[in-house]
Amino acid sequence: MSEDKKKVRIAFFDFADCEGCQLQLTYLNENFLGLLEHCEIVSFREAMSERSDEYDIAFVEGSITRKHDEERVRKIRENAKIVIAYGSCASLGGVNGLRRRFSDEEAKEIVYKGRDSHLEAGWPRPVHEVVKVDHFIHGCPSNNDETIKAVKSILLGKGYTPPDYPVCVECKLKENVCLFEKGQVCMGPVTRAGCGAWCPSWGNTCYSCRGLLDDPAEQGQTELLEKYGYTIDDITEKFDLYNRCRMDAEKEAEKK
Amino acid sequence: MRYVYLAKDDLGKFIDLLKEKHRVVAPVKKENLFVFADISGGEDMSLEYIPTIIPPKKYIMPQKESLGKFDMGEVSMKDTSIEMEPTVIFGMHTCDIDGLECLDVVFHKDPADPYYKKRRKNVTIIGYECMFPCDEYATCVTMDTHVPKAGYDIMMTDAGDKYILHVNSKQGDAIIGSGNIFKEADQDAIKKELKDLREKKLPKFKRALNPGYKELQPLFEKSYNNTGVWDDVGRRCVSCGNCTAVCPTCYCFDVYDDVKLDMSGGERGRVWDSCQLNEFAEVAGGENFREERSSRQRHRYYRKFDYPVRKHDKFFCTGCGRCTRTCMAKISLIETVNDLAKGEQDV
Repeated sequence: MSEDKKKVRIAFFDFADCEGCQLQLTYLNENFLGLLEHCEIVSFREAMSERSDEYDIAFVEGSITRKHDEERVRKIRENAKIVIAYGSCASLGGVNGLRRRFSDEEAKEIVYKGRDSHLEAGWPRPVHEVVKVDHFIHGCPSNNDETIKAVKSILLGKGYTPPDYPVCVECKLKENVCLFEKGQVCMGPVTRAGCGAWCPSWGNTCYSCRGLLDDPAEQGQTELLEKYGYTIDDITEKFDLYNRCRMDAEKEAEKK
Repeated sequence: MRYVYLAKDDLGKFIDLLKEKHRVVAPVKKENLFVFADISGGEDMSLEYIPTIIPPKKYIMPQKESLGKFDMGEVSMKDTSIEMEPTVIFGMHTCDIDGLECLDVVFHKDPADPYYKKRRKNVTIIGYECMFPCDEYATCVTMDTHVPKAGYDIMMTDAGDKYILHVNSKQGDAIIGSGNIFKEADQDAIKKELKDLREKKLPKFKRALNPGYKELQPLFEKSYNNTGVWDDVGRRCVSCGNCTAVCPTCYCFDVYDDVKLDMSGGERGRVWDSCQLNEFAEVAGGENFREERSSRQRHRYYRKFDYPVRKHDKFFCTGCGRCTRTCMAKISLIETVNDLAKGEQDV
């Protein structure tokens, strides 16, 4: 690429989340430098103090919860040419969705006990429930290999479509012993791949942090979990952990 | 070609001999299962094993491989040739040897797949005959793959305190000729011994599939619309793609381009794909020819028991039982085929 070519300006923003996905980016090392040949990072709270409102691509991390956050993310949408929901809190609602199990009062009581007069609970939503999102990078945390792949693809103008096949595909290609084989229960069969079967490869079960597939075998997986002695409540909990917002949205759509 | 003996105590020496000129891979234990992996000596391997998680096809058709590199703006590819050191796949079961023969049919058909062909040429197969059925999932008796026939360079058969080695190729002969641990003996006597061993072995192998070898393909010809069976399988299936990943005859792959960070070029590669995945039969415009899990599962069975018989005159099921063994939803090939046969009787 020639020196005078205009670099793509990238900015990172965080909402309700742990900022762990941004932190992942600091582990990119030399890949990060490679990216800087085409991009200029103009706002990145995790790693620099400068900031700018002029950017082409906005990485939005975290769930949108309060009115104030809605306004802020709308402004970001106006400023950016491309909005990427980065990490599961942004792309799915993620674990923040668990808050939806409680009423506002209950949530405030549990989280902000004694300080709840001036703190809000908010209603956690994935970014696309508030503004239009162009691309999704899932994961809790996001996987750097996928992030690089997605960014390259977006910079090439091709956009990025995450895999629509389950984690099992990547797990089996690594020739892992299936966790079901070991009597453990795994959400791999209904969870979107792209992480390289990160958790199962290290002996942990899949928590569905990358969200359900477009067409998950909910019935098959439910029967499967029942076969392993799980109750409907256990199963709902397993699906809920990262997918609560999507499941609520699907219920809403069914009502209509 | 010919038969020789190898004393069991000399198995380690046999591996050492092979390692002088080859990379040696063999079944090794992984938790409660087995995988083919590199071994440094005979003590690393577990010759008495049930079929490995992934079949040894991975050495000839790796899960993911580079097909070459490209520069942006250039039409032709570069670095398209691959290197593979001479490799011995040691202890392959007859079902997996049959699987490799299926892949040979597909990949060697004109125009041959150059990557497969090159790897295949560098592989020596030393089989190990099963003297006991591995478990309740295998259907090798029906598929007629439980007795060694062809497709190997050397076949080893357990004969008490020694192995009988059937040397079946020039490659195999060269290996036997390079060592002094093999004992020559009267060929007719060895053949007789082998025959007796097999007579004792065969009654231990029971048929699991109700339809016989010759009845299988005609059964499938009539079962395409047996919605009872296919819907039941489809309902239970979670589309994890395990059954195809572990199948010794599945060979579908997806081609991808991986562009370098500086965008000056990249690499083209391929990775195993699966007909069980939602995206597999999706085409431009979003049409999906096999949207339902039931139709995807049915497709898999037809790619084993019907289509290849018409096209290549060969079943693409080796009876290894891996698809049943690996299925967490417990979809069983034996049950499915027997259910189809039952439906056939009801009609």
